[in-house]
Amino acid sequence: MAAYLNMDTLRFLLQHTHDLEQILTLPRFADHDVDSINIMLDAIKDFSDQELYPVFREMDEKPVHYADGKIITHPGLGKILRQSAELGVIGGTFDYEDGGLQLPNTVGTATYFIMDAANNNVPGYTGLTMGAAELILHFGSDDLKATYVPKMISGEWGGTMCLTEPQAGSSLSDITTTAYPQADGTYKIKGQKIFISGGDHEHCENFVHLVLARIEGAPAGTKGISLFVVPKFRPTDDGLVPNDVITAGDFQKMGQRGYCTTHLSFGEEDNSTGYLIGEPHRGLGYMFLMMNGARIGVGRGGIAIASAAYHASLQYAQERPQGRRILDNGRKDPNESPTLIIEHADVRRMLFLQKAIYEGGLSLVLQSSKYLDLSLYGPEEDREKYKMLLDILTPITKTFPAEKGREAVDNGLQILGGYGFCSDFVLQQYYRDIRIFAIYEGTTGIQSLDLLSRKITMHNGKALELLAGEMKATIEAALEQPELQKYAAALGGKIKETQEVLGSLLPFAAKGEYERFLADANIFMEYFSTLVVAWQWLQMGVTAKQLSITGAGNFTDDYLEGILHTMRFYFTYEVPKMNGLVEIMRNDEELTLLKEKAHF
Amino acid sequence: MKLLVCVSKTPETTTKITFNGDQTALDTSGVQYIMNPYDEWYALVRALELKEALGAGTVTIINVGPAANDPVIRKGLAIGADEAVRIDKDGGSSLDVAQQIAAYAKENSFDMVFFGKETIDYNGSEVGAMTAELLDVPFVSFATKLEVEGNTATITRDIEGGEETLEVATPFALSAAKGLAEQRIPNMRGIMMAKRKPLNVVAAVETTNHTQVLSYDLPAEKSAVKLVDPEDMDELVRLLSEEAKVI
Ligand SMILES: Cc1cc2nc3c(=O)[nH]c(=O)nc-3n(C[C@H](O)[C@H](O)[C@H](O)COP(=O)(O)OP(=O)(O)OC[C@H]3O[C@@H](n4cnc5c(N)ncnc54)[C@H](O)[C@@H]3O)c2cc1C
Repeated sequence: MAAYLNMDTLRFLLQHTHDLEQILTLPRFADHDVDSINIMLDAIKDFSDQELYPVFREMDEKPVHYADGKIITHPGLGKILRQSAELGVIGGTFDYEDGGLQLPNTVGTATYFIMDAANNNVPGYTGLTMGAAELILHFGSDDLKATYVPKMISGEWGGTMCLTEPQAGSSLSDITTTAYPQADGTYKIKGQKIFISGGDHEHCENFVHLVLARIEGAPAGTKGISLFVVPKFRPTDDGLVPNDVITAGDFQKMGQRGYCTTHLSFGEEDNSTGYLIGEPHRGLGYMFLMMNGARIGVGRGGIAIASAAYHASLQYAQERPQGRRILDNGRKDPNESPTLIIEHADVRRMLFLQKAIYEGGLSLVLQSSKYLDLSLYGPEEDREKYKMLLDILTPITKTFPAEKGREAVDNGLQILGGYGFCSDFVLQQYYRDIRIFAIYEGTTGIQSLDLLSRKITMHNGKALELLAGEMKATIEAALEQPELQKYAAALGGKIKETQEVLGSLLPFAAKGEYERFLADANIFMEYFSTLVVAWQWLQMGVTAKQLSITGAGNFTDDYLEGILHTMRFYFTYEVPKMNGLVEIMRNDEELTLLKEKAHF
Repeated sequence: MKLLVCVSKTPETTTKITFNGDQTALDTSGVQYIMNPYDEWYALVRALELKEALGAGTVTIINVGPAANDPVIRKGLAIGADEAVRIDKDGGSSLDVAQQIAAYAKENSFDMVFFGKETIDYNGSEVGAMTAELLDVPFVSFATKLEVEGNTATITRDIEGGEETLEVATPFALSAAKGLAEQRIPNMRGIMMAKRKPLNVVAAVETTNHTQVLSYDLPAEKSAVKLVDPEDMDELVRLLSEEAKVI
């Protein structure tokens, strides 16, 4: 079977760079230890090898479709979902009393990374079910919890998040789905939701939709949005009865074709009952509280695809003979047999680029997961700090894997030459699959606005200051290793440069020129995420150096040298790109601002 | 019914095998370990299935090795064994390991002792038969089917060119081959709960060593693929007969 990830890399990052053992010292995780977590990760890998990876191509070739009012998915999906639930991947991070195992989110991320790398069509189903259950657990009534959550954790019922409407995608304040209060305290829901992942299929008995809607007469804008549980079938004393939720179609997509994306219509016959979660008008706030986790999840999925594409293209490069190496005299010897393409510098560059993006991105995803754990379960007095660190890293954790992951996969495809473009090889599937990650769960445009307009400036720049502090701690550690000093200095220089860049951008906001301030938010995202991942690489470099001295973890010298080499690559080939981005951000041309004349 | 399953630790299947400087031992740097698949997938799972079918009995796993083996042993508990025993001894020949297991098994009398047909590192296939001999019980190797009725087991085993089915009364020992059961992936709850199951560390008994490793060598490299012109059947036949020696 083809490799889609390297378990050593996951172990290196989880146990050594991000110090799982330290996370496990938190009281909530007292029942866990590194050995048992390793057994869990191996179990997930075995499951992924045996059940997920073998149907990855097939799910794409025979995609989900809609026929006779029903969504038809891959016939094996039902078995896979039951096995996933049995393994414990739905709700493994929940509290014991909610049916969970109190696993750290960091471990949850690692388990889903493995599954996503094997087959990114599947973990969305269980991940969304888990996200929906989590919302009910946090904000729902005891009755809602008891009625819905156990069936969701067992995988019998699926869960979804219904935000998007035809006219309201990025701008959720424009949603029009309406909730009409009823005498018994329930609501009648009416409206259309589109692009709903995992919204319906033949392998679950029921679907629990978490629907954003406006209670009749609620104020306009985001403040008037409430959150409802709207099941496909209402549980009653007489069993499940239809709840007037119609599946109107499945969107046919360029990628993730094994993962359904449905159009749902609520209350066409005025008979779709919804149950309010928490307080009226606070729905969006509840959703946002869960957003960090969901966005880390999207980042994880993107980077998992980049991992799979890297390993597939690496294998090809090690087997494909083509061309001859250039000799010292600048010529090639036609009598020599062809070399493997991995010997060509340009192919090696494409491999290192992928490795740098996927390993750096995976480290970032785990870093954010760790901050999530510390913000929820860390020492009381530190939680606020970790929450801020998580908040500032979240848009980057969502975006870097999507944007740079796409570039990585593109390079993987390129390594296969013409075969990369052909459907006989898997690279084209990864290329199509990863495209959605920059769109759903907030587009790159929206994430960039969030980063620059909210996260950078929040609490008077406190989060940014904390993040710089974390980076400086890594720089300190790196300065102790002569070999790393150069890279530590480079990171330090870029932190300073970031302050200068912000120093030239923030005055626009102060002057009330917000459009100007945010016009290049996307460029700032690219710039800042390159910096954040450089920090991750320096941390990995420090880890590799330490492990090569102590021998802990029993990694081969080649493996550790591979990490150091890739760190050097990132600092040499990626970090300098920030210079060009700075130049763009300092332009005073205002070319993209809305002017009177149309130029298109 | 008391069932004993002997499990060993082997390098992970993708490990690149190299030896130390004087070729007398495996170079373990960078090696990750797993439970020997024949022990885990077939021997242990079939033992658990028998216990589950009977609704009674115990499954004990046993390993001879140092504390570093505990993670592998814990996996066996996570898959479903009731308890584990580690005989605290690092290294030793097949005979030594067999003597350690036999000493424990004699003292605790088991109805069946399960082994994998071989370990995937040294492929010795020795410990099972040696242990059975020391225990003075019948040994059935390469079992692919096992059914138990009262005190009698019906076992199908692989033999050269076919298979045979035989009956054997308990107590006996067997070695498990592919087909005896299907791999069971432990679930995360089971893995967590395994921490609460007993893992007893037992002192090794005195043994004398009868073997000494002189050196290890890797098998000869496979020769490169030879492409034969589809028109040239004579050459193909010649190569198959003279070089590959398969016809
Ligand atoms: C496969 C798939 C699965 C999905 N799953 C779900 C799901 O499970 N649940 C759910 O609720 N939704 C889901 N979505 C919807 C998804 O979240 C939206 O498509 C996404 O948020 C973008 O909304 P939109 O498509 O309406 O695009 P628009 O909001 O119309 O955006 C179009 C473009 O304009 C830009 N833009 C919009 N507003 C601004 C602004 N203020 N400033 C700068 N640029 C802006 C965007 O960045 C984008 O480039 C899914 C979508 C897809 C394709």
